[in-house]
Amino acid sequence: MSSNMIMLKSSDGASFEIEEAAARKSKIIANMIEVECVDEDKAIPLQNVTGNILALVIEYCNKHIVDDDDDVATEEASEEEEEAKKKKVDDWEAEFMNSMSLETMFELLLAANYLNIKSLIDLVCQTIANNIKDKTPEEVRKIFSIENDFTPEEEEEIRKENAWAFG
Amino acid sequence: MNGGENLDSIPTDLTFEIFSRLPTKSIGRFRCVSKLWGSMLRCPDFTELFLTRSSARPRLLFAVEGDGECSFYSSPQPHNPYDESSLVVAADFHMKFSKDMWPDFRGFTSGLLNFSSKWKSFWPVHKDSGRVICNPITGQYAILPELIKKCQVIEYSFLGFDPIDNQFKVLLSMDCKINNHILTLGTHEKMRWRNIKYPLAHKPLCKGICINGVLYYLARSFGARSDMIVCFDVRSEKFKFVEYERLCFFQQLINYKGKLCGIKLAHVDDVIKLRLWVLKDEEKQEWLKYVNTFPKNEVLGSCKFSVAGVNARGEIVFLEYKLSKPFYAVYFNPDSNTLQRVEIQGNHEMLEKRNTVYAFVDYVEDLKFNIMKTTYAATSISPLEQKLKRTAALSTNKFDAMCLSDDDDDEFTGVINT
Repeated sequence: MSSNMIMLKSSDGASFEIEEAAARKSKIIANMIEVECVDEDKAIPLQNVTGNILALVIEYCNKHIVDDDDDVATEEASEEEEEAKKKKVDDWEAEFMNSMSLETMFELLLAANYLNIKSLIDLVCQTIANNIKDKTPEEVRKIFSIENDFTPEEEEEIRKENAWAFG
Repeated sequence: MNGGENLDSIPTDLTFEIFSRLPTKSIGRFRCVSKLWGSMLRCPDFTELFLTRSSARPRLLFAVEGDGECSFYSSPQPHNPYDESSLVVAADFHMKFSKDMWPDFRGFTSGLLNFSSKWKSFWPVHKDSGRVICNPITGQYAILPELIKKCQVIEYSFLGFDPIDNQFKVLLSMDCKINNHILTLGTHEKMRWRNIKYPLAHKPLCKGICINGVLYYLARSFGARSDMIVCFDVRSEKFKFVEYERLCFFQQLINYKGKLCGIKLAHVDDVIKLRLWVLKDEEKQEWLKYVNTFPKNEVLGSCKFSVAGVNARGEIVFLEYKLSKPFYAVYFNPDSNTLQRVEIQGNHEMLEKRNTVYAFVDYVEDLKFNIMKTTYAATSISPLEQKLKRTAALSTNKFDAMCLSDDDDDEFTGVINT
């Protein structure tokens, strides 16, 4: 596949080369390309994204751009093929998010938000939600270093009100 | 890991994106994390986003009744009936009403259940005792103001939803009377039963169903001795009557792709016969009839089914009316004439016995219960506990709850303490 390559530069000065088609997963970069403010010789500076996070974003975009291309090419693919393909993407995404620390997930979420990549925002939010959904309030406080600012009476009251959630 | 800083650095809209993907029970628990989380998970922007998200994943809600108790569960509805992973689903337990509060289900409208409690000790006079509005997901429920005229026998109560003004109304149908009662649920200071006159005296025959702001129920007119469908516009509070062939003998009314549909399911020998009458044109009173016959097959087995409803895809959902192991829901697609069986699994004592099941299709989880300023929440509610709470509400208004008025006038009033 021949495609224009563009350069991205992270906040800590690391440069990455990425196919234009993959970079277009980011609405912000796509807009920059549309209004032709991308100089082929110059890297786009991304001041809010560090190199290690940008590497993850690029990995995600590269993976998904291939899938999007496939969608266009095989519009008449059978239902079974569609499903097999979806499963492949799901597996890849699970693997991609697996073993990522919560801290990294938050940084990745902020980067996806800054670059406006909707599907990555969805993926990270869903993964964080899945990771915390079965936790108790105490565990959540520990994970996020949150101080319990309820008085014992207030806590008893709010727990009573939400007793349905502890059953 | 110093995670606290991480969450603080996340803008609120992204935090909401994460929270909106949590199950309802996690939301309830996380309200107890801190004051900030408590207020975030209650704020209207969040509950609205949560509702949008849960509308995309409607669930099958079912109540299991046995030994005087009634428990609520819900399970996912299969996204795609041909996706193998969705053929076995887990039932989540939500709440339980304890002995003597025997709910008698009267309707299910826009996420809220309307039932009358056969709880004799609390409302000793009425045939149909207290009327309860309940959000089964959060366990919050409210008891409607009592009718002061205790001599009247209430035949049926219906819960209607007006999507234009976003209002719930409860219609009480008395025994063959022209004068009946209606109440608008809301956070007004004073909520009371208003009189409403029926243009035609009739006796309701079944539970109602509310479709696009119109409440429908079957009734028998006394003058004409004929059966009819009562159409009650919830917003304008106007009645319309549609005749139907007596021969139809609908067992229940359902919402079939936005149209009113009468349904009859009969088990004859080894064959299940399903008949549908879809009201194509209300003005012209045009009905479309469908008949489907299912011979005994491996999907249906020898189970006895009842109709739970029709989901948004137009599939008719059958559920076994008595619990059994394994327990199945069957999705019938009339367009493709296919049946799909989904096993519902759960570890809960109520699911172990051969109890009676009531099911509701396309249930959208909603955290809000702002139909009135009432919060009685518990996983298990017994009459005694409830009585105590009611007293607490009256004396301290701790629960910011609606309570019953002691007004002795001819009207029926409920007071919300604010």
